[in-house]
Formats: sequence, structure tokens, C-alpha cells
Amino acid sequence: MEISCKDPVILNQWHPVSSLDVLTMDTVENTILLESKISFQLNSKEEVTAWLSLDDEKTLLPTRISYGFIWVSLGNPPKDLFLFPEFSESDRQNVATGVFGVNVSAGRTVENFLDMGHFPYVHSGILGEEPHTEVKEYDVEISEERDEVLATSCKFYQPQAAVNSNEGMDVDYIYRVPHINCALLYKTSPVDDARLDVIIIFVQPMGEEWVRAHTGMCLIDDESTAEQIRQFQQTIFGQDKPILENQYPKQLPLDSRIETPIRADKSAIAYRRWLSQKGLQYGVIPSAI
Amino acid sequence: MLNDLKKIWHPIASSAEVQKRHVFHAQLLGREYAVWRADDGNVNVWENRCLHRGVRLTIGINEGTELRCQYHGWRYANRTAGCTYIPAHPADAPARTICNNTYPVKEAMGMVWSGEEAFAEPVHFKNFEKYTVLRPIPINGNFNIIREMLSAKYRLLGHTTRDEVNGVLKVILKNGEVILFFVQPQDSNLSVLRGVVNQKYSDSERVLFLRAQNRILQSLRNDIEVLSKKRQIDPMIVQIAQVSSELSKMPQKKDIGRQAVLRVQVAEKKKTAKDIVSIKLVSLRDQLPTFQPGAHIDLHLQNGLIRQYSLVNGPGETNFYNIGVKLDALSTGGSEYLHKDIREGDVLACSVPRNNFPLRRDSLKTIFVAGGIGLTPLLSMAQSLDVMNLNYEFHYFVQNEDHIAFSSILKKLKKTPLVHQGLSPKLTKKKLNEILLYHNNSMNLYVCGPGPMLETTRQVAAELDWPDNSVHFEYFKNSNVIDDSSSFKIELARSALSLKVQSGQSVLEVLRANGLDLPSSCEQGACGTCKVSVVDGAIDHQDVYLNESEKLKGNVMMTCVSRALSKRLILDI
Amino acid sequence: MIELYDYELSGNCYKIRLMLSFLKLDYVSKKVEFHPGKEHKSEKFLEINPLGQLPVLSDTNLVLRDAQAILVYLARKYDKKNIWCPIDDPEKLGLIAQWLSFGDLITGSSSAARLHDTLFYTEFDIGECRERAHAQFRILDEHLFFQEQLNQSWICDGEKPTIADIACFPYIALSEEGGISRMSYPAIRRWMDRFKRIDGFIVMPGVFPAGPRSF
Ligand SMILES: N[C@@H](CCC(=O)N[C@@H](CS)C(=O)NCC(=O)O)C(=O)O
Ligand code: FES
Ligand SMILES: [Fe+2]
Repeated sequence: MEISCKDPVILNQWHPVSSLDVLTMDTVENTILLESKISFQLNSKEEVTAWLSLDDEKTLLPTRISYGFIWVSLGNPPKDLFLFPEFSESDRQNVATGVFGVNVSAGRTVENFLDMGHFPYVHSGILGEEPHTEVKEYDVEISEERDEVLATSCKFYQPQAAVNSNEGMDVDYIYRVPHINCALLYKTSPVDDARLDVIIIFVQPMGEEWVRAHTGMCLIDDESTAEQIRQFQQTIFGQDKPILENQYPKQLPLDSRIETPIRADKSAIAYRRWLSQKGLQYGVIPSAI
Repeated sequence: MLNDLKKIWHPIASSAEVQKRHVFHAQLLGREYAVWRADDGNVNVWENRCLHRGVRLTIGINEGTELRCQYHGWRYANRTAGCTYIPAHPADAPARTICNNTYPVKEAMGMVWSGEEAFAEPVHFKNFEKYTVLRPIPINGNFNIIREMLSAKYRLLGHTTRDEVNGVLKVILKNGEVILFFVQPQDSNLSVLRGVVNQKYSDSERVLFLRAQNRILQSLRNDIEVLSKKRQIDPMIVQIAQVSSELSKMPQKKDIGRQAVLRVQVAEKKKTAKDIVSIKLVSLRDQLPTFQPGAHIDLHLQNGLIRQYSLVNGPGETNFYNIGVKLDALSTGGSEYLHKDIREGDVLACSVPRNNFPLRRDSLKTIFVAGGIGLTPLLSMAQSLDVMNLNYEFHYFVQNEDHIAFSSILKKLKKTPLVHQGLSPKLTKKKLNEILLYHNNSMNLYVCGPGPMLETTRQVAAELDWPDNSVHFEYFKNSNVIDDSSSFKIELARSALSLKVQSGQSVLEVLRANGLDLPSSCEQGACGTCKVSVVDGAIDHQDVYLNESEKLKGNVMMTCVSRALSKRLILDI
Repeated sequence: MIELYDYELSGNCYKIRLMLSFLKLDYVSKKVEFHPGKEHKSEKFLEINPLGQLPVLSDTNLVLRDAQAILVYLARKYDKKNIWCPIDDPEKLGLIAQWLSFGDLITGSSSAARLHDTLFYTEFDIGECRERAHAQFRILDEHLFFQEQLNQSWICDGEKPTIADIACFPYIALSEEGGISRMSYPAIRRWMDRFKRIDGFIVMPGVFPAGPRSF
């Protein structure tokens, strides 16, 4: 079976293909990964098999189940997936908030997730509000040890930071990008200000300009129902989607001469640099040199 | 072929389609354009991509003077396409050079014309003084196929057709009227057929005519599309227009030196108040560079003097620079020269606008305190807050009614300015206490005026516990006597150079003498242009630009007047 | 009390939210999780609407399905000024009904394309959906161009917009999520700007706001 994607960097990754909660045992599901049609089936809570749909021999692809999602690789994936310890904390609600098709590259989708400057415009009245538009200085590092991009001490003014507050306040954020197509956001929990809620986006590249964005939340909140949480997250992602689909070029420019970064984009710059260092070619416009 | 097509003018919209407060979505030779008309009538043709993160500008908002991007709210000025505000960094003035890619534009025969590399003028067609533009017909087909079939269609209907230059088709209708057809190549398989007839009809006749032509063209379209489905051509390859290399990196570049790069002509000079003239300067050649509210220009006068003037322009007023000049009794020649000697039509040189007095637009309320001619930068700021519907209060202190300048602009403000006339210093202070009494941490104060009044305002604000960083001021000049008797050493951290500053020399002069071209403007410690960071050493601040806490912090200095208290200073250059 | 069975990302529910906002009516939004819960196909909901479709409106004793039907009801019942659905002119009423039905046709094409691209409704033939949407948009664009020539701003003649405009707006505004570009429909794009400036206009995820109402 011929796989059309030839970029080893992306082929050798684990890719999310479905959240567990929507699957029925022993039912074959079909999806697309890196332009190849693949099929998979949940055999038990711990075991999943996957194969190229058009492969008569049904050679099995590497699979794993982690963090409430099925992961598949078309190459030789690393033994481990990134760490996400909060997922297993017993007092948290893990909610898969839905998967959405977006006509854009995975890189653009991840980068938008790291971006705070758009809150007052795209998520007006929810995650931000004019004239509180400032993105204050924050710290970014590319951690070599963990091989991830980390943005800390991020702060942003939010009109209604918590369910029971009627005044705006600065909310603290931490962003992690531990996988080229996956990002996690940590945000002060409205219920317990010593702990952080986690919001995730795991992107499945169907093609270079066509993705499935899997979203989820891992919350300490025990008041909101799973349905309310899903609804909130869908509204937010529904607002981001048309922005993403109106970005030109659709592939993420690693060539610095295409766009104009500002200090607020530090995390995006680090993310682009990290992708360049990895030599990623798929779904990006590689830097000129 | 493609290169030739790039060089000619193509109609990309009917003028009527580019309506007020609308952003028209066009495409030519593969590249997309955002086409928008400002309230002053000017049509802008920009690449359809915000230079920040590539979002289409056709989903943005035409605010009449500026176009606003939907993603992060960056604002781009009419004509120049220069970015005037970056909301994520409200305290900074965006680098003047952040400019969207613009393309040439002309309006003629009821259509908007452009071309990636179009030059000179669009072809002029005779006998088209009267015209009616047909309904444009988008067609899924290649422009070559369309041209062939178009001519055949009209001939079949018994009209005469003739090929003109640049692929234009002339159709002479049986009644003698002439239609010119232009095929706008949007992409290889996508075109718009645009036509214009040399006749102006009455309303009812016009609709009949447009409908009749529309019927012909739609039937033609059906034929073309059947054929084109079988003859798909590869899409055109569009080179993504690059940004300049300085912009692609994070730090922003400053303009260098005290250069007069623009040649401007006095287009209008008129008295706007007692002893104050308003002067409008227009460019002799190119588009004037973008300004932001609070910006000033250096005007190089024919008598050799250089003077700074704040721009009064509102947002989007980009085809002139408007300044106000007060006749100074103690004039050393600058204001007197502008008042007496300068005439409309005279040519002067000036610098690009610099903004060392940037306006934050993230306050819940902004208070402006203007004294006399200090009105000018604040008036520009208030007009910007107006278009964004932000909250402010405008206080204007003048001697009496005769001294109220720019009253036509003042009248246009949405918040009626509060004019305080003829107050003594004591009463001025009392008034300022009233104005500044209430404040919270999402308010900002902007002050500009004569030295003593500015001092009083800062003092009152400090007494009322306004935080230093919410009080923004701009002095006209530094009236302190500069003490340049000290001598000391400067070390340049980045260029590993060690230099000596003798008494009588400024740091700026020494740096320039050693080949470091630093930007400057007023050269008397008032405007903030020559600011550099100081890594180590005690600074002898002699400027009026920095506020007290900035001076205490001791990590920046104005190289034109400030010096060292210690034996040496280490500068971050 | 008016109750709307509602899903935030549904363009058909958005038609009703728009109408309620234009008429400044209070209502209760009863959330039905279309995705991923497929609640509109649950037994409980099928009792409310056997077609398994959103929106449904309930008002005192009435339970009404179909966005267009709900628009007619709300306009007739609550629009005291008789603007959104005037009935005194039979010709105009006929035309309004014609375009209401056209609005539902757009659901069948543009909304289907969006469901395919966004929520993976792979049973739809995406190419065919898009083609149909383009054919419909051409018809509306031509209509709106000639309306402008006659100094008419809206789908049906008159100073003010009608429920016909509401019925057509959402799935045109959301079409690009189904890969249907509106670049070739300049008259539609202008009409959308006008629509967004109607007093009481609200957005939904996927629809951008326009600038200030008056200028
Ligand atoms: N003609 C109906 C169509 C409604 C419709 O298609 N609703 C969608 C949500 S936007 C739905 O519930 N679809 C489920 C289905 O048709 O099975 C109306 O105008 O209300
Ligand atoms: S992409 Fe336009 S403002 Fe950021
Ligand atoms: Fe977002």
C-alpha cells in the first residue's frame, strides 16, 4: 500500500483519530490520516486495531489509547506519548468536547490556540472584551529536556473569568505544546484557585490543508454538566473556525518573510522555530534557508 | 503571457460595487484583493491578507477611514495601508513601516482598475464620456475561451465585433451603441466578464437594457461553462508577497538620523486663531508615510532651522499633514518664518512622522488636557478615539475665545470639548484638581501645553495619586538650561566601543562622530526620539521627556542632552 | 413564555434567534446537543418533532417546527408594526413565501456542505451540494443586483427587510464553512453588509460582525 505523504517527521508521529467516548466496541470506523484512508476498531477498553482501508492484507498500524483518545501512526512512532498527568487525577472531569473539520493546516490550528491577542475580537464578551486588549509580557522557552514549547506567566483580562464573578479580572494561563500538532492550556480553576483547569486541542491532519480538531477539557469543576462544558467549548471553537479558514496561506509559514510578528506572538515564534528545527515539511511553508 | 497580463490595467470591480463601508472581494491573476472605498472617496486595492497573521481583509471592517482586521483588531490607514494601531500592545506605536501590500488603482468608465505591475494609465477609449456599466458576470472558465466565445455570440446576434488592444472586445450594436468588454482573469478557470456601453439611459430604460444584456451574457456563460468543465487548466501560481526583513523579526527598527526625506508643498495656509496658523502640507511625489495620533514631523525651513510640529490629522486623513504653528514672541526664527514668509505653493523638506507620544486605546476613559497650541497632538488622538467609540473627556485651556484653534475639528468631535477660558494660574490649578479628582487604574491622562501648565498638571496628578505610568505628557521644548560641563566615558555594550564625551559635547554628537547613526529630532530633550537603554552607570537626566519614575529607574536616557553623573556609562548599543 | 429548542451552531436556530432579537422578545433557550450528542434524534426529542430537526418553538399551547414557519408565526404574532411579514399585499406575501422556501433550499445545499466538512456527514455528496449552492447563490445574486438597480435593498420590495431576508441569511453567511466561496456574488456580499447593520442584529459562531450601524 502506497502512502502519499513522504515527510518522515510527520509520518513517525502518533496522531489522534477519535475520542473514546463516541466509539462502540467492535465497530469499524473510517477516517483519513495524512491523505490515507484508514480504518480502526475498538476491541476492548485497552485495545484498538487500525489498518489502511485499501490494504487487502490488512497490515496492522501502530496504535495506542491515551488520554481518552485513539492514536495511530503511519510510520515508526516513539515509544511514549507526551505527559499529561492531570488527565489521571481522580477528582477531575475529563470531557471530550467534540471534533470539528477545519479547512486549514494543523500548524495554523495549534498556533491560534496559543494566541491570546484575538480574545477581545473573536471571543468578544467571553474570553476578552475591548478595550482590554493588552497582551502583557510573558515567558516562552523551548524546553530541550521535555522537547516542548512552554509559555508561562501569561495573563489576560477576561470579562467573566468565573461563573460566579460579575467583574472582569486578569486570568493566568500556561501553554504547552508537547507534540507538533497538540497543545494544552492551563488556566486558573474558578473553583479552586490553587489548581489549574486544562483545555486541550489534538489535531489530526487529514491533509496539508484539512484537519480534524479534537477538543477536550479536564476540569476540577463538579458543578457544570458535561453538556454545558461541551457547549461552551463548541461556541469558542466555532468562533475560531472561520478565522482559521480565512488565513492565507493555509499552510503555516515557517519562512519569516511572510508575516509580521509582534511581542505578543512570542509563543507562536517559538513554535514555528521548534517546527523548523525538527525539519517538518508537511503542512508548512519551510523557511527559505 | 502571464507577465504581460500583470503589466496591464484590468477592471476588477464596478465603481458602484465598491460601496461606502463595504469591502469588495476581488481576484486578479490568482492573487486576491480587498478593495475598499474610504469615506473621502478614495479606493484602496490591497492584497487580501493582513500582514500580521494572514487573515483575509475582506472579512474585516471598513470603518470609513481605516480598515480593521477581524483577528486581532489591527488598524490600517486609508491610502497608505500603514498600520496605525496594534491593540495587543497599546502603549507602543507600531513601526511606521508595517504596511499591507498595496496595488495601483484608477477609476475610469465606472470601473475600478488595477494590475499587479500596471503602470502609466489605463487605455483611454474615445466616445465614452457617457457610459453605463453592465452587470458583471463571473464565469467558471478561462479568459481565452471566454474572449473567443464572446465575440462569436454577439456576431451570431447580428452585431459587429472588433478586437482592441489588450484583449478588449468592442461590440458595435445594431443601433450604433458601442459596448466594450473586458475579461478579468481571476484565475486560470475563473473570470469576470465586464462590459460598459457608451450610453446613459433613463432609469427605466437602463434596467431594461441591463436585463437584456444580462440575459445574453448568462446564456453565453452556460455555453462556456459546459466547455470549460472539460478543459480545466492548472491554477495560477501566486508568489506570496514578502514583508521586509526588518519586519519579519520581532524588534522594531527606528528611523535613522535627523533626515528630511520628504519633499512637501504648502497646500493651504490659513489663520485658525489669534497668532496661530494652520498649514496643510501635501507630497510632491509619493504617498506620504503613515502617521499615528500623537506623531510629529521635523520641518526643515528654508532659513536652515529645524522645528517639530505635531500632526492634527484625524485617522485616515493620509493625503496631507496638517500642523498648527503658533507665533512665538520669543521666536528664534521658526514660527516667525512660517507665519510671515511661507506662502501656499512653497516647497519644504520634512522628516517622516515619528511617534514618541503614543496613545493607549485600552483605557475605560481617557482625559485630555490641552493648553494653547498643545491642542494639536491631543486633537489627533481624540479623533482616533472617536472612530473607535471610546470614552474620553477633552479639556482645552485658552486665554479667550480668539485663541481657540481648529474649531472646525473641535466641533466634529463626538464628545463636546470643555473649553476653559481665561483662568489665572491659581484657578487653572483649581480646575485641574476638579478634572483629575476621580481616577481609577483603567484611566489615562494625556497632557500637552506650555511648560508651566504642564508642570502644574503633572503636579496635581501626582498629588491626587495618579500613577506615573498613566500620566502621559509632551513638552514643546526643554526650557531647562543644559549643563554640558561634565566629561565622562561611554562604553557601547553591543559594539564593544569605548568613547570619551568632553564637556561641551553631547553623547549623541560623540556617537555620530564615531559612525553610529542614531535617530533624533528636537535635540533638546523634549521629544524622546534619541532614547537609548543604559546598562550601567548613573545618569544625569536633563530632559523633559521621561517621567520621574523612569528617571529614577535609570535604565534609559536621552542622548541629546543627558549625561553621566558617574565616570562612565554603559549603553546598550 | 417562548421556548426555543436551540443549538448554538445551527443556522436554522440562528434564524429564530435573529427574529427574536429583532423583535426584542425574551425567550428561554432549551439546548439540544446536535453534536456530538445527536440529541435531536433521541426518543425524547422525536416526540417534540418527529422529523428530528431543529429548531422547534413552543409558545403557550403551540409547538411549531420548521424555521420558516416559526418566522411567520413570530412576525405575525409579535411584530406590532407589521414590517417583517406584511399580509395586506397578496403579491408581496406570495413573494415572501417564495423566498422562505428558497431559504430552506439553501439549507439543503449549503448547510449540508457545512455538515459534511465540519461534522463529517460523509453521506452527503459534497461536490453536488456545493454545485447546488452555487446555482442558488447565482439566482439570488442576480435578483439582488436588479433590486439595487431599482433602489431596493432587500429581497422583497419595500423600505424594510422581511422574514425572507432572515430565512436566507444564515446559511449564506456560513457557506464558506462548507467550502462555498462568496467571492463571485458581490450583490449578496453587499446585501449581507446591509443585513448585519439592521438594528438588533446578533452574530453566531461563524458569522462576523459588521461595523457601526450608522455612518
Ligand atoms: N426545514 C427545516 C430544516 C431544519 C434543519 O435542517 N435543521 C437541522 C439543524 S440546523 C437539523 O436538525 N438537522 C437534522 C436532520 O435534518 O436530520 C427548518 O427550516 O427548520
Ligand atoms: S491577523 Fe490581522 S490583526 Fe492579526
Ligand atoms: Fe480562539
